[in-house]
Amino acid sequence: MNTLSIDFRPFVEWDNNPFILFDPKGKILYLNNSAEILLGYVSKKELFDLALAYAPQNFGYKTTALSLKYEVFSFYSITVGYENEEQLSIRFYNAPRIRNSIPVEKEKLSMADINLLLEANIALFKMKNPNQLQLLTDPDLPQLKIDQNRFSKLLRKVLESFRSSDSIQIALKLLVGEHMIIDNQKIAIAQLSVSANGRYADADKEIVSLCEQCNISYNLQEFIVKLEIPLIQ
Amino acid sequence: MESFYTKSEQVQQIIKGLNLTKTLYVSSIIIGQPHIGKKRLLAYLFPDTPIVSGTDQEAVESMMATSDELIITDFEKLPNKESLDFDNKRIIATANYIGNQQTIDTLFAFIYMMPSLKERPEDVLFLKKAFLEEACNILMIDISQFTAAQLPTDLTGNSKTLKRSIFHYLISRTLEKEEIQEAIYNYLLQHLEGNNGYKEHLDLYEVPLIRSGLKKYRSQLKLSQILGINRNTLRKKIHEHAID
Repeated sequence: MNTLSIDFRPFVEWDNNPFILFDPKGKILYLNNSAEILLGYVSKKELFDLALAYAPQNFGYKTTALSLKYEVFSFYSITVGYENEEQLSIRFYNAPRIRNSIPVEKEKLSMADINLLLEANIALFKMKNPNQLQLLTDPDLPQLKIDQNRFSKLLRKVLESFRSSDSIQIALKLLVGEHMIIDNQKIAIAQLSVSANGRYADADKEIVSLCEQCNISYNLQEFIVKLEIPLIQ
Repeated sequence: MESFYTKSEQVQQIIKGLNLTKTLYVSSIIIGQPHIGKKRLLAYLFPDTPIVSGTDQEAVESMMATSDELIITDFEKLPNKESLDFDNKRIIATANYIGNQQTIDTLFAFIYMMPSLKERPEDVLFLKKAFLEEACNILMIDISQFTAAQLPTDLTGNSKTLKRSIFHYLISRTLEKEEIQEAIYNYLLQHLEGNNGYKEHLDLYEVPLIRSGLKKYRSQLKLSQILGINRNTLRKKIHEHAID
């Protein structure tokens, strides 16, 4: 089959794996949709340095298995290649997302006001920590069905991971237009983000486990914790 | 209806936390020394919630099976804590000490540390006033002779020792001569034995006599005159009884 006449660009453009083409100075010549989103989380320079570090010694392509994580993105491998001295390409392979294996047992969940749970946990945290807290919340968030005890434990652990930070920002908002599919149902998402100038990672394992038990997506970074909470009704 | 008084910032925070979670199905525990008001606080905040002691595992389990809201006291005494399932229940527990931190951490979402009375001087004065009133009522003593500030402050066992010391103080200051004699009579009835009983128990009379005399007259010479005994005899007795 003659493939010369086929335009492959749309296939690359809409590939879910990020693809970037650099010039020798690190300027981006082309990037696909997915790479555009990736650049919201990591600098162009960092990705160019990565491409240089893993480029093959001669013309051609080299695939290296490595584990990369840029906030919501995680990759298990990259392919770096060049066919001339003007263009260097790098392609990232998305690591498969582990599907939550814990089914939602709605009958075991009870309706609660997420703001109330957050407020109670902040009161508990304030008792032990003099840190300055800034809270930005949406009082109109609907009630949700959740395991209140587990969720409270999760909030306690997340807040405690910021115990030595001078100033902590907490924001709770509805992610407009974003949904999670649980039991074939579209569920709205509330995002809780807690950030400061540093945090302890000693309880991250427990945080991850509690998130998974509560069907909450998590993103644990050095300075920020983001939880995406399904507003199950 | 129970009442609860506190001016302690930390205890007020605990009350705030418990009030916020009053309608939620979460588990909370208050940990602190014995007799600092943990149970009283819960009885005040949750007057209709059934209470069970952690000393009886079976009772705890059977009440948990029938009620989704429960106060468990003396949680540290519960033999098999790990077997409990607090999901979708409002459990409020009290404990005198943490015990296994990991277990507490796993079971409870809200862990409050309640300060002892030593750390709550603002509450101690209130308690002294309350205990003074209670003691005067029970002992049928005229309260106007006493003020809370003059009362002793024994906080070694928190409110238990504080209350006890106040009762002691009041009783010791309001006994009639016959009552003092009766107290000594009962004491001697229990302790009188051997072959030197007179001398052995003379301190029951002589020590308070000399101590109060020295406090009142501030001079051994004057006191010896008041007591009608020789100054050297008085000095000898002070030495014998090791009175400062």
